Amino acid sequence: MAMIEVKNVAKSFGTLTVLKNFSVDFTQEGVTVLLGPSGTGKSTLLRCINGLETIDEGDILVNGRSVKEKKNLREIRLDCGMVFQRTVLFPHLNVMRNLTMSPMKLLKTPQAEAEEKARFYLDKGGLLSKEKSMHNELSGGEQQRIAIARALMMNPKALLLDEITSALDPEMTSEVLKILENLAAEGVCMLCVTHEMQFARHVASRILFMDKGSLVADAGGEEFFSTIRKENKRISKFLHFIGE
Amino acid sequence: MSFYDYAYLTSNDAMQFVKATGVTLYITLMSLFFGTVLGVLLGLVRCSKNRVVRTLPLLVIEPLRNSPLVTQLFLIYYGLPMVSRIMLDPYPAAILALSLNTAAFMGVLVHNSVSAVPDGQWEAGLALGHSRVSTFCHVIARQALRLLVPQAITLYISQLQCSSLVALISIMDLTKLGQNLALRTLRPFLVYGIVFLIYYVISSPLAALARRLEKKLAFHY
Repeated sequence: MAMIEVKNVAKSFGTLTVLKNFSVDFTQEGVTVLLGPSGTGKSTLLRCINGLETIDEGDILVNGRSVKEKKNLREIRLDCGMVFQRTVLFPHLNVMRNLTMSPMKLLKTPQAEAEEKARFYLDKGGLLSKEKSMHNELSGGEQQRIAIARALMMNPKALLLDEITSALDPEMTSEVLKILENLAAEGVCMLCVTHEMQFARHVASRILFMDKGSLVADAGGEEFFSTIRKENKRISKFLHFIGE
Repeated sequence: MSFYDYAYLTSNDAMQFVKATGVTLYITLMSLFFGTVLGVLLGLVRCSKNRVVRTLPLLVIEPLRNSPLVTQLFLIYYGLPMVSRIMLDPYPAAILALSLNTAAFMGVLVHNSVSAVPDGQWEAGLALGHSRVSTFCHVIARQALRLLVPQAITLYISQLQCSSLVALISIMDLTKLGQNLALRTLRPFLVYGIVFLIYYVISSPLAALARRLEKKLAFHY
């Protein structure tokens, strides 16, 4: 059964139509990568799934709950953790409090348990020594790894990742992608918007290609890079442009 | 100014300075308390997502921000009895006028401080599953406080000084006492010098507190 069902969704910002009658299902398994040129509605789709944007038409169901119902948003957001393009750690809290505040307040996790879990994720990200640091003492890559850990602290069923490496330099990008590859290997379900083709090649179990608010291709990772790219000129052109 | 000048002031005058300082502090503290409570409420309502709701506080804030405090004071003390049965004594009238004036400016400060927190902070809180109220309490409020506190203390200092206007409705505060003593002794430099010093001694620790809190609450985006 699909965890996320996107049904005939339309979304516009003023006169700009971002999603057109868009439908797709996501199961709670593997890594789905959303590809496509900028401005084709990939990030908007993730934000609509998380309820950060309202939808004009259609519906999105997350584990059977509609994002159109305000009362469902909390559960939906707990099910779908989200990490943004620009890192948004809470600047008034140190790393440890950034990780533990939400589980303690929302899931009523005891402090000791939350801290133990936070250290587990910090250790995984090679950031154990940074637990007392403030966000301005961290590099962009470290901040983004902590943002991923913060989302994982809430035990989400899926992670929505919105171009989380696009603001990072190549070295930091590789640090973050390594974490994502490890998570993928552990079976964490992810829905990623990215332009990192190497990452998509390595870990994507499914690739969706979007253009002008519509779904152009929906294929398995290998199939996309071998067959689909040859058959579809639009995809071929896009991949050529980004050096693939 | 020679020692001779001080002889114009008696020990009774010294006691009057103490009492008048108490009056100034009482009126200022009361009005800052009520003004802050009302101002925070007005500021938070201004942050509502509902356009109609967030416009309502402007009905209170704008007239009070755009008219002199002395006019507001006279309107409440002299004007209200003309159009209603409400006839306030000088003290409640002074506290009411100063409270409303403080509330108007505090409302603006609260709204500006909350609005200055980047939208991404709201989204990060919401995306983690916090409600708007929970995001405000655990994420936004602390960041807004960093901006609000130093400005609020500056407002408090300003309102302490504005409290001298209550002398105009016959309240024996520091300024009014200064007027009386200056007339009696014909030594305005001496008397107003003392009044000046007392205001300064009350205000300057507040300014120091503002600087300290600013440092304590500081963090970097």
